[in-house]
Amino acid sequence: MENAWLIPLFPLLSFMILLLIGKRLREASAYVGILLTLASLVFSILVLFERFSEPSYLAKFNWLTIGDLHLTAGFEVNQLNALMLFIVSLVSFLVHTYSKGYMHGDERFHIFYAYLGLFTFAMLGLVISPNILQTYIFWELVGVGSFLLIGFYYYKEEAKAAAKKAFIMTRIGDVGLLIGMILLFWQTKSFEYSEIFNAVEAGGVSNTMITLTAILIFIGAVGKSGQFPLHTWLPDAMEGPTPVSALIHAATMVAAGVYLVAALFPLFTASKTALLTVATIGGITAIFAASIGLVQTDIKRVLAYSTVSQLGYMMLALGSAGYVAGVFHLMTHAFFKALLFLAAGSVIHAVHTQNIEEMGGLWKKLKLTAPLFLIGTLAISGVPGLSGFFSKDEILVAAWEGGHPVLFLLALIAAFMTAFYMFRLFFMVFTGEKRGKQKDVHESPSVMTMPMVLLGILAVVAGYVNTPWFGSFLGDWLVDGNPALGHSHIEGPAWIMIAATVVSLAGILLAYLIYGKRSIAPDWLSGKGDMLHTVLNNKYYIDEFYKLTVVAFVTGFSYLLRFIDVFLVEGIVKGVTGIVQGLGRTGSKMQSGQVQTYGAVAFLGLAVLVVIYALTGGYLR
Amino acid sequence: MNLHSILSILVFSPLLGIIVLAIIPKAQEKAIKAVGFLATLPALLLSLAVYAHFLAGKNLSDFSVSVPWIQFRGINVQEPIFSVYYELGINGFQLLMVVLTSVISTLAAIGACKFIKKEWKGYFMLFLLLVTGMLGVFTAENLILFFIFFEVTLIPTFFLIGKWGYFEKEKAAYSFLIYNGLGSAVLLIVIMVLFAKTGTTNIEMLKQMVADPQLFKGGFKLGLFIALLVAFGVKLPIFPLHSWMLRVHVQAPPSVVMIHSGILLKIGAYGLIRFGMGIFPQQFEKLATLIAILGVINLLYGAFLAFIQTDFKMVLAYSSISHMGIVLIGLAAMNEAGIQGAIFQAVSHGLISALLFFLVGVLYERTDTSLIENLGGLAKGMPLAAGFLLAGAMASLGLPGMSGFVSEFMAFLGLFKVQPWIAAVGTIGIIMTAAYLLRAVLGMTYGKAHREFDGVLDLRGVELVPVFVLMALIVLIGVYPSVLSSPLQATLETIMLGLGG
Repeated sequence: MENAWLIPLFPLLSFMILLLIGKRLREASAYVGILLTLASLVFSILVLFERFSEPSYLAKFNWLTIGDLHLTAGFEVNQLNALMLFIVSLVSFLVHTYSKGYMHGDERFHIFYAYLGLFTFAMLGLVISPNILQTYIFWELVGVGSFLLIGFYYYKEEAKAAAKKAFIMTRIGDVGLLIGMILLFWQTKSFEYSEIFNAVEAGGVSNTMITLTAILIFIGAVGKSGQFPLHTWLPDAMEGPTPVSALIHAATMVAAGVYLVAALFPLFTASKTALLTVATIGGITAIFAASIGLVQTDIKRVLAYSTVSQLGYMMLALGSAGYVAGVFHLMTHAFFKALLFLAAGSVIHAVHTQNIEEMGGLWKKLKLTAPLFLIGTLAISGVPGLSGFFSKDEILVAAWEGGHPVLFLLALIAAFMTAFYMFRLFFMVFTGEKRGKQKDVHESPSVMTMPMVLLGILAVVAGYVNTPWFGSFLGDWLVDGNPALGHSHIEGPAWIMIAATVVSLAGILLAYLIYGKRSIAPDWLSGKGDMLHTVLNNKYYIDEFYKLTVVAFVTGFSYLLRFIDVFLVEGIVKGVTGIVQGLGRTGSKMQSGQVQTYGAVAFLGLAVLVVIYALTGGYLR
Repeated sequence: MNLHSILSILVFSPLLGIIVLAIIPKAQEKAIKAVGFLATLPALLLSLAVYAHFLAGKNLSDFSVSVPWIQFRGINVQEPIFSVYYELGINGFQLLMVVLTSVISTLAAIGACKFIKKEWKGYFMLFLLLVTGMLGVFTAENLILFFIFFEVTLIPTFFLIGKWGYFEKEKAAYSFLIYNGLGSAVLLIVIMVLFAKTGTTNIEMLKQMVADPQLFKGGFKLGLFIALLVAFGVKLPIFPLHSWMLRVHVQAPPSVVMIHSGILLKIGAYGLIRFGMGIFPQQFEKLATLIAILGVINLLYGAFLAFIQTDFKMVLAYSSISHMGIVLIGLAAMNEAGIQGAIFQAVSHGLISALLFFLVGVLYERTDTSLIENLGGLAKGMPLAAGFLLAGAMASLGLPGMSGFVSEFMAFLGLFKVQPWIAAVGTIGIIMTAAYLLRAVLGMTYGKAHREFDGVLDLRGVELVPVFVLMALIVLIGVYPSVLSSPLQATLETIMLGLGG
């Protein structure tokens, strides 16, 4: 574990190599990226296994001195960090491999890999930071990685707008994090996680301050994790290449907000209000995004709204004091959502469209992608036996036991919607007649399918590390030695699991009836609830709302200031130049050439000097 | 070599270049450019040597020099009543400013070789004079000498703008001269009052004598301090004294703007810290809230206006106003974090704006425009330039890992301790900075190409030198801020002692 600091440096090296000589390597760039992330993965696995048997490890050094304040940097390996290292380096490695096929033939192939390296570096750095300042530093860097990759197709206006939007929206959240972090610093005199927790536990921080800082920090998480109301950037971020969506906008970066809340969990549990805020935002986001996902027709956008919704679930879990449930779902979601995105990428690769209305009947043509997509769909829908089932069940139990019956109900409805829209997607893409112009549909090369197979296996089995049936290994390990994180497993009534299974199966059944068997007309919803459909299709008009309020205000205010700048400030300028010119004119009038006037002025001056000399005795004191 | 003469050699070495230039015929373009560039090197090497001297753990006061220069004597009095010494010296803060000046001067000389298309001889002679003036400003140990060097920077700048600038160059040059002339007139009054009252202009001695309540009344000192605030406020610039500086940014040739935005604006920050805070600490403290508010106004005013500009040069001009607000925010905090943040910001903005203006110069040379909408899709034809432009914008908006973040962070860290509400309003500026920079830079580099880039060449050859050097320094400070903070610690202690904290 002493060498865990090397893990982020491999991808950084990849970034630098590819930036310098990538152009000459061309598509061989992929090998640089793949090998170096493989190194990270191997180290991460070693660290993870070491952490099973050994205590946490922390190393730090002095980074910046301000008077007598010493800010440090370093790295820490605790349970959460070790788990995150593994998840991030695994998904990153798989995406690196997959991209070799997906990005084949792209003019800026090496740049793509360079950016992937930069992002992976930042993300790995984020999850081993021992203090919140360093977390913030990497937090911003992952944002840049995401920004660059969303805007990878820079010549497309949509990509440009999406990249800009992602950066600015998340930055709004980041400012909350920054303020929260600084306020916390002046309360506890430290950025170190451990010292902050000690100060909070010792009662060194007032309750109001704990609540305020926790909520401010949560705003940062809201921005990064695409939670309501800062979620609108995430669906737009789908303009980036699909492997990027899998890595950044499904498995890793967007989960950073959840990670942040988990890393600062003792701070959040110290304030009931903060926890309730987290749970409420999470619950609202879960159902809100799921409902939009019901009607979208772009395969990636459906998955994007599903990501937002699932992240809401994780927040709901954490806000209900279900630390284990939140982290567990983070892990399983990383696997099955990365799988879904990569499979979607494989579909897009084959049919060259993202519109699901132009797909259909692909089950026979994509012999490997289709079953893998089905596995991912089953997992996210919470069908018993797959990973998503166990983690979602933990969350529902946590929400119920946490005393939020309303939020529990929202989560249950969202689970139904999830199953429905995911199977709607599945049926529309893979079953039925072929629609649209599909030509030469091929299964993707094995460099793309192998990562999907691996993720498919994980999507099935990853749940068994923490089940009510076989024991909660993950939970026991995560909270081991840290009572502030709560129980390793929350006991809940058995009917919750049954209810979850029922809603999930009901969702699947409904989707089958409409889109599979077609015994209910597909426009059933749009026919019955026209208004509702329009509202959902326009994503509750949130973007339009922002455009009319925030954007309009900023622009208007800017023009108001310009008015001031042009008239008021320039007015002062005119005044100043006027005075100077006036003085100049008066001065030049003095130069009349009349010797008498000159003599008189000189004499007057001399007289004044003499008077002053007489009055003061020669010294000005 | 005698260490005491080092600073004098450092400051006056560019003058040697002027002498050599004087005997080179006007038409010898290559020779003139070579001499103009080479003449900036001695100062660069010496300033780095001084930095190395500091790193070796030795005392910076080894370099101080003080010899009698001008004396006024009463008729019957033996001791001179008013004496002015020629005194140069250097502390950690001054060291940073000197290194910054010499680095940017050398790079601006490279820029000038690229961007200046006529009368190189006159240009480089004035340019080198300007460099001497700036180096002198940062090493002068008394106010008279400071003032002389300060004026030496004004005159060459006036001509450099007025002769080699763009379409409205004369207007820009005159408004530069009028504003700065008025500023220095106010400064001169302050200096003369101090001189007449105390008989010295040595800064260290003034610190003690001004603190003496027998000599100075509180209200009087407040008046002097406000005068200083105005004088340096013009330079920084503080809203609403900024409009001259917009014109200079837009009309001056890029190599001059590199110097102007990179260093000359920092004289305002330097003066506020060294004289404002150093000589009048109590008065500074009294007005701290006002200064904090002014800082936030600068920050937001610049940011909002930058958001709607159509000319990239104007975006950068307002962005400078906005970033100088962060200097004020840091200073108003009156604690170590804030002051260190302000100084970091001065250095960091110097590097970043030099980089961005160099790139603007390159773009303008290739495309004859700096209008955002005319430049769309630049990444296609000039990927390197576009990449560095984006990297520069990232540095400017305070991306961690680059210098802008460290300074912004410390300034806000400082202000949040004492004025959390004002600081909270100021953080809107962080969001707006991202918004206006991305709007401008993405508008120029991303999107559909608005023109054919067939004949347009990317960054190449010697143009890469300033870009790489500046980028490397920006990243170095961002990743390893101790390069700046370790020389500053002693200076900070002195300032904090003066503030009584």
